[in-house]
Amino acid sequence: MPWLARLASLRLTLALLGVLGAAILAAYFGGLRYSPAIAAGLSALAVNLLANLVVTPRLRQQGPLLLFHLALLAIILLVALGRMVYLRGQVEVLDGEEFAGQLLRHDAGPWHPWRLDEVRFVNHGFRIAYAPGLLRQQTRNRVSWLNARGQEESAEIGDDTPLVLSGYRFYTTWNKGFALVFAWQPRRGPPVLGSVNLPGYPANALKQAQEWRLPGVPEPVWAMLQFEGELIPEDRDGEFRLPDDYRVVVRYGDRRWDLVPGEDTAIDLPGGQLRFVELRTWMGYLVTWDATIPWLLLAATVAVLALGWHFWREFSRRPWNPA
Amino acid sequence: MEQALNPELLFELKILWAAVVAYVLAGSLAIVGVLLKKRPERTVLACMVAGLALHTYSLGYRWERLGHGPFVSMFEILSSNVWSLMLVFVLCYWRLQVVRPMAAVVMPILFVMMGWLMTVSPGETRLPPTYHTVWLFVHIGFAKVFMGFTLVAVGLSGIILSRSTVFWTAKFQRLPADDRLSELSFRCLATGFVFHSLMLIAGAIWAQDAWGRYWDWDPLETWSFITWLLVAISLHARLAFRVSPRSGAWMILAVFVAAFLTFFGVPFITKSPHQGAV
Repeated sequence: MPWLARLASLRLTLALLGVLGAAILAAYFGGLRYSPAIAAGLSALAVNLLANLVVTPRLRQQGPLLLFHLALLAIILLVALGRMVYLRGQVEVLDGEEFAGQLLRHDAGPWHPWRLDEVRFVNHGFRIAYAPGLLRQQTRNRVSWLNARGQEESAEIGDDTPLVLSGYRFYTTWNKGFALVFAWQPRRGPPVLGSVNLPGYPANALKQAQEWRLPGVPEPVWAMLQFEGELIPEDRDGEFRLPDDYRVVVRYGDRRWDLVPGEDTAIDLPGGQLRFVELRTWMGYLVTWDATIPWLLLAATVAVLALGWHFWREFSRRPWNPA
Repeated sequence: MEQALNPELLFELKILWAAVVAYVLAGSLAIVGVLLKKRPERTVLACMVAGLALHTYSLGYRWERLGHGPFVSMFEILSSNVWSLMLVFVLCYWRLQVVRPMAAVVMPILFVMMGWLMTVSPGETRLPPTYHTVWLFVHIGFAKVFMGFTLVAVGLSGIILSRSTVFWTAKFQRLPADDRLSELSFRCLATGFVFHSLMLIAGAIWAQDAWGRYWDWDPLETWSFITWLLVAISLHARLAFRVSPRSGAWMILAVFVAAFLTFFGVPFITKSPHQGAV
């Protein structure tokens, strides 16, 4: 079959490797994170390799080289499968609150099994040290959850130490800040406790305000956190903390209230009464899921070990010191 | 200037400068040896080993002083790479006696890096939060071995290419024929390829833990993969075509340029996670 031989050509492999490189560069300079051209290049290389396995007895007879190429094929297939099943999302959880299975935003493959509603954990707050120049150091976030036997477990997680529940991995991120906790008493119905997450701190130190809508209230409510001084010092080591002395400014239309912690001020709004309860923190988590990762690691390890084995056999046939 | 007054930093720099002097002496002797057709190889090796010992002390002293390895600033990355490249090269110089004059090609490349090292700030650094992992050492260690083997391949390729002139053919006359040098450079590149692959795997494990994804086509990942592809193309080209030693040498130079730009250029022109900027 001459067409199969042509498909298996090593010259075609070279050309396809060049095409793949060009596709990667095109995606890189075009600002694309995922490119059909890269997928096409990898698929074409997989076909070329399969054809090579069929028509080249030498490749089949060289065990380590065969293993290396089969592992490469497995990597391509697993990467493709990973794109179909993955999930990547973000969620913000208040200190002392439970994550209830809902993400703020996400991006997922069409075959993602969606078991996130089984996942629950409580954020018990965090500690973050800062080096001079507001350089964020390690994040230590205490979380707890119920295991399969219904017993409570807890752990300290961080940027590089995820909480893994039902295959979902929760990582802390740079995105965290303060939350204003309010009690909302509607004209009819039970009171509701809710929080307004302010923009991330200290990344948005000068924009500690947020606008939101209350049920039954025609216009949005605006609130701002104000405090004096430098919370995290820029010129020396520091730590993320709640301000000792602060006030909360609330605006509705052209009316304004200055709320001080400890004072029980009720804000009368068209649909009910709003009360500031306390200031807390929230943590923004990165959530990922990809069941192919352990298999990818296995395939990649097999590939590189087989390649090393192949070269070892080849190079031990002649001395390294050239005559 | 405040940092320049720090006596501990001054001490560290003095040791580093002594190491650089030893390296420069070794490289200069190697070049003069080739030009005069002499082989002062024991002296060259002794100078390189002395430089390496001083450099090791300087890096270790800094590590102890700052509490973390030399992985953050350009000064630290250049210094640790000069050290690792020297280490791999000294081992090859020691074991591959026949091709020792390649030091005349390799050392000028390292001189450039040393000159660059002298111009960047040696100020104190902090380890970014995602750098507290053993995978940092594994990832960077494999990368350094890859660069070391590629540098040796470049030394051999430099000899092959320089032999196109009568002058250098005469100077490198006693070295093995081009096809034998080319085969040796191919071995070095192939060995480097294994370590580059290991570097990508270790980096992916680290990235999964540090940023929740094993691969995201960030600039450094992209250029590392381009370098990996260039090595794969160079190795495959030897199987698909009858590549001449000169063509093979040019391919190795292309790989080295891509690797050099990836390692020393890309991390400092982007705000990718590799810089620890998140």
